[in-house]
Amino acid sequence: MDLKQKHAEYLAYAFLLAVVGVVFQQIATSFAEQGIASGGPFDNAAAYPRAVAILIVILIALQLAVSFVARRREGGETLSLTHLACPAAGLAILFAYIWSLNWLGYHIATPSMIAALMILGGSRRIAEILIVPVAASLLMAFAFEVVLKIVLPGGVFKLHILWPF
Amino acid sequence: MVDHLTQAVGLVFTPWSLLLTFAGVLVGLLVGVLPGLGPLMGIILLLPFAVTLDPIPAMGFLLAIFVGGSCGGSISAILLRIPGTPLAAATLFDGYPMAKKGRAADAIGIAIAASSVGGLFGGLVLIVAAPSLAAFASDFSAPEFAMLAITGLLAIAVISSSSLLKGIMAGCFGLLLATIGTDEFSTGYRFTFDNFNMLNGFHIVSIVVGLFAVSEMIIQLMGPGLTNKPNVPMVRPGFSSLVLTLRHWGNLLRSSAIGTFFGSLPGAGGVISSFTSYAVAKGLAKPDELYGEGAEGGVVATESANNATIGGAMVPSLALGIPGDPTTAVLISVLLILGLFPGPTMFEHSPDIVAGVFVIYLLCNVALLVIGILTTPLFVWVLRVRKVNLIPIVLLMCVLGTFALQSSVFDLFVMFGFGLIGLLFRAANIPLSPIVIGVILGPLLENNMRRTLLISDNGLWIFLDRPVAAALILINIALIGGAIWFNLRTSRP
Repeated sequence: MDLKQKHAEYLAYAFLLAVVGVVFQQIATSFAEQGIASGGPFDNAAAYPRAVAILIVILIALQLAVSFVARRREGGETLSLTHLACPAAGLAILFAYIWSLNWLGYHIATPSMIAALMILGGSRRIAEILIVPVAASLLMAFAFEVVLKIVLPGGVFKLHILWPF
Repeated sequence: MVDHLTQAVGLVFTPWSLLLTFAGVLVGLLVGVLPGLGPLMGIILLLPFAVTLDPIPAMGFLLAIFVGGSCGGSISAILLRIPGTPLAAATLFDGYPMAKKGRAADAIGIAIAASSVGGLFGGLVLIVAAPSLAAFASDFSAPEFAMLAITGLLAIAVISSSSLLKGIMAGCFGLLLATIGTDEFSTGYRFTFDNFNMLNGFHIVSIVVGLFAVSEMIIQLMGPGLTNKPNVPMVRPGFSSLVLTLRHWGNLLRSSAIGTFFGSLPGAGGVISSFTSYAVAKGLAKPDELYGEGAEGGVVATESANNATIGGAMVPSLALGIPGDPTTAVLISVLLILGLFPGPTMFEHSPDIVAGVFVIYLLCNVALLVIGILTTPLFVWVLRVRKVNLIPIVLLMCVLGTFALQSSVFDLFVMFGFGLIGLLFRAANIPLSPIVIGVILGPLLENNMRRTLLISDNGLWIFLDRPVAAALILINIALIGGAIWFNLRTSRP
């Protein structure tokens, strides 16, 4: 299946409409419970987000109308779904890294993430796949832990480097 | 201001500030040279470090990255015919032909010298114009600031996208994001979903890193030749390039003026200024100057313009608190994190800091000339790094930079989420810059709009009662009208 720009546009508009839906849902529930959904300019914390949300809906409607009239929906570049496999895998690796960072700890999760992305990018040299991730993660750990004094997650194994500085 | 500038020299010329400025230029050149990164990415990645510093060294470091990054793209444009940043796209018209004729070192030297002189020109305009603008704006009150925020947002929405509607849509999305957290007036919680991580809203850095850096790296993963090692010849420019550049003094001054002017317009930026100055220089060239075939004047025009843009862009950012592009938006957010509020009040309450920023910006451009000429071979070597090694390291820097802000994994998930949104919006041809400007200007707009309504006896009509606010309304109408007219003209078959 091929993807066109119009598919991405529809998805983006659907996302924005979902955001607008959340705005109205929150105003009707959380805002109302707190007593900030109505009143004058000082107390009414809902008027401004509501106005912006309505403006978004109007803009989406206008944009769809313009696209329809101009028949732009027929044009645009197409992209095969198979082309999305690599970035999807990249996103999955990044998500897995963020998710596991606190659990596995920086010193295990980081070299694994870098190596996985390198393999995904086409790197096949074993030495490079071993050296670059370890060197890069140690260099960054030094920069953040020693220079910026930020404690990186140790994970369940409580792995921390005792820098001699 | 002269007294403050004199005092600021003492604040700027400390070993730590000088070291950070020189380091910033190096980092800027590095991120500028590498295609796909650029000054915004460099500033984002080093922002967690900068916010731990005092205001002047912090701004010096980040401005140096901005200055270096705006120039660094020319090196890859000249050597590889691939501009490291969009800012250097016009430089390859004459830079690459110069390299093909065996004058790569001259071309790079001229690019660095012209960038430095253009930046100094922009800096001088900044020193003259920003205090005057801030003084003028010191009489502004809530209605003027509300209208100014709308003008800033509209300008970037109009210019950053071929579709006005999509640009404004993105800006509105940014405005909505800015409402997340605790309301300043009622102290109620908005869109926090009972999650304590959201009481102060999303961190601006998580949003910017996700939208720009993560989505860009993921897109680069789709590109070809990730494992290719570019074959780049070694070049060593010399300081004689400054003489070559100054021979084109008319072009240099004119292009710097064009760059500064476009920089001061919200949304215009370095790309437009460099192409415009190139077109003007080409139009006014002598018959023996063959533009497009390796004319030195072409490189002078584009590089002086795109670096002068920074000085121009800093004028409304510092004087009014209205950023002209995502990079100045991030710089404003750094000042906010450091407890300073860009705008007329900063000129009144912290004139020493303002003067320090002026002086250190000039210093950045002098440092660019020295560091750029001396370290070009290093960046030629960096160009040989394969993308497959670079992308994971940049992503790691994104993660660590975001984590370092509050040691929060929640911020990482926010960053990841905005990476997805960035990918989706790029695919849908919705511009990302207005989102960031919307997030920065959102509180300014909402707070001043509500203050305006509080002091107004007749609702929104107060905007027409005040001359500056009414003039800004007219400008906004002209912006929208101009964009509609341009869209209609370009969409005709």
